[in-house]
Amino acid sequence: MGHDRTGVTRREFLRRAAAGGAGLAAAGGGAGRWAPAWAAKGAVTLADVGVGDPGGDWSKFSGPTGWDVKLVAIGNAPSTVLNVLIAGGGTQIYDIVNIVGGMQKPLVENNLIEAIDTARLPNWGKDTYIREFLSPGKPGFDFIGYTGKVYGVPTVLQGDSFAFLPEKTGPLDSYGAYFDPRWKGYVALEDNFTTTGQKTALYLQKNKLASIKDPANMTPAEIKVVIDFLIEKKKAGQFRVIWSSFEQAVNLITSREVYVIDCWEPMVFAAKKKGVNAVYAAPLEGYLLWTMGAYVVKNPRRSKEQEKAAYELLDFMLGGWYGAKITLSRGYMTNPAAAPYARNNPREFRPAEAEEVAAIDANVRKKFQFGGTWQNRWPTHVEVYESEWARFKAA
Amino acid sequence: MGALQGRLSAASRGAVLARHALLALPLAFVAGALLVPLGLMFVWSFWERAGFWIRPAFTLASYTEFFAGVRLSVLEWSLVVAAGVTVLGLVLAYPIAYFLALRVRRDLARNVLLLFTVPFLVNYIIRTFSWVYLLSRTGPVNRALIAAGLAGRPVDWLLFSDFAVVVGLIGSYMPFMIYPLWAALDGLDRRLVEASWLLGASPGITFLSVTLPLSMPGVFAAAIFGFVGSFGESAVPIILGGVGYQLMGNTITSALDVLNYPLAAAMSSVVVAAMLAFLLAWYLAFDLRAVLGKIARWRF
Repeated sequence: MGHDRTGVTRREFLRRAAAGGAGLAAAGGGAGRWAPAWAAKGAVTLADVGVGDPGGDWSKFSGPTGWDVKLVAIGNAPSTVLNVLIAGGGTQIYDIVNIVGGMQKPLVENNLIEAIDTARLPNWGKDTYIREFLSPGKPGFDFIGYTGKVYGVPTVLQGDSFAFLPEKTGPLDSYGAYFDPRWKGYVALEDNFTTTGQKTALYLQKNKLASIKDPANMTPAEIKVVIDFLIEKKKAGQFRVIWSSFEQAVNLITSREVYVIDCWEPMVFAAKKKGVNAVYAAPLEGYLLWTMGAYVVKNPRRSKEQEKAAYELLDFMLGGWYGAKITLSRGYMTNPAAAPYARNNPREFRPAEAEEVAAIDANVRKKFQFGGTWQNRWPTHVEVYESEWARFKAA
Repeated sequence: MGALQGRLSAASRGAVLARHALLALPLAFVAGALLVPLGLMFVWSFWERAGFWIRPAFTLASYTEFFAGVRLSVLEWSLVVAAGVTVLGLVLAYPIAYFLALRVRRDLARNVLLLFTVPFLVNYIIRTFSWVYLLSRTGPVNRALIAAGLAGRPVDWLLFSDFAVVVGLIGSYMPFMIYPLWAALDGLDRRLVEASWLLGASPGITFLSVTLPLSMPGVFAAAIFGFVGSFGESAVPIILGGVGYQLMGNTITSALDVLNYPLAAAMSSVVVAAMLAFLLAWYLAFDLRAVLGKIARWRF
């Protein structure tokens, strides 16, 4: 963080300026009534991939704490996150980075994030989803923890599978649909070796078509088996395209360009809103499970007050209002307080919205209880994954 | 007299100094913004990975990985696609530029040239996505083909195919190719064409022996625009290509995704070397100074 010649940090300068402004506003009588109560403090800078924004409304956080939230966009690719934090000076800018979890290894080893003191988060202990799915010793812990310590606060949870058009395919309940010759040329995959590759591995493992010990962290030999299988299917003309953006995937469904698509559930919600009867499958093999992880960026120069505010924001993100808002807008499960909050606050959430929050919550919870494989964003042999995926694409 | 000469000489030295100072600015910018990053990239291509970062070393491991792996085929394919798009682009752009420069009124030509800039008012990605709508199985082109009885069912290869990528690349880069071709043809000395006619040459012979050779600097510049743009393209293959369609830009990005900076730097260095070789070959064949001279005359 840069110091000016008076020795005041930029952040402190902004805070003092804001405080001065608020004081002037208060002294101004009538005008002061319109100055927000939290204008005297600073802002917590939250870098987010586009999932964690409750429609720009942070008043439920800002009102009680006196801190505002400055939301900035960040890409979700591991390289983007690391480049922004290492080369882009992100550690001096961001307080919290909210991205798909499982990135602790590169982030911790590069000294970019700090362990979270969960005792400072009152909502942490109340979150039964954390206990049930993400506590130490469970596979989900790898999404938020590293070497026994907690680094990420799980802001959303989800289980991915695939979507299909029942009018074209009838009911489907296996990843085998990706490779079924009946849908030859009508299957789309995601351009991501940790989703498509891992789901294919799960399919091969569960159906005993290949010997794969852990689809979440394959050996180079196992990865090769998976990629050879995909290449064989690709050469047979099974796949139409591999997509790489939300809009592209939604368009593939709504235009009926493909009947079976490896995708995220919100894409099905988007397709349904456009009048297309797409169904998100419940595969026999299980789901690709993941959570978002809100990481506290390591910045030794951060003031105690700023750090306290960051923790307050993390705790807020584990709360009912925030959870219900995100569940409603994104279609992901957030925390156990979300559905009751929506139900008990009809002035903030209409009954239909509260029902929707509860339904999404119950649906995703079932997925986690059913199980599958936890997405591994940074597997041990990540370079092999990437080079083998390049082989698949070039085949 | 001597004093006057001295003053003139001092003024002349001052002017030269001012010119050099003026030139120093863009040179410093080019050095700082282009040559330094390129140099760093080249150096890093020989470094080795250390955890999630890189450390100084001299190893050819990244080049070996590139030349021994599947990514080399991506380079080869990128060259083929870029060359194909360049040739097709020239075939399409040259007649357009020819008619605009030599066969229609100058004011009309300027208006038509202006129209070629209209697509650039739309976001590049959205423009590319529009091809998906047009060429999809349920899109207007397929519907028209079926309605006209030219196809019994949707034609699959219109989209997510080599064809779609070439269409997308030509749509993106051909407009850039028209302008230098038009500039070259518009600056052509018409008396030379008339002389050819007067000497009895047919229109075809006149074109091949007078117009085309004199417009080669424009062809050269247009080819640069088409080839370099297509070769480095990454969005069109992702949006319009088939299963895992890749050009060099895509495979470099993919290596960066797993923080393999030396490999990405090695691939980028090879790409830059290929581009420089291409430019050198064209320079030797067509003389770059002729192009620059044409453009300078046209502009000023």
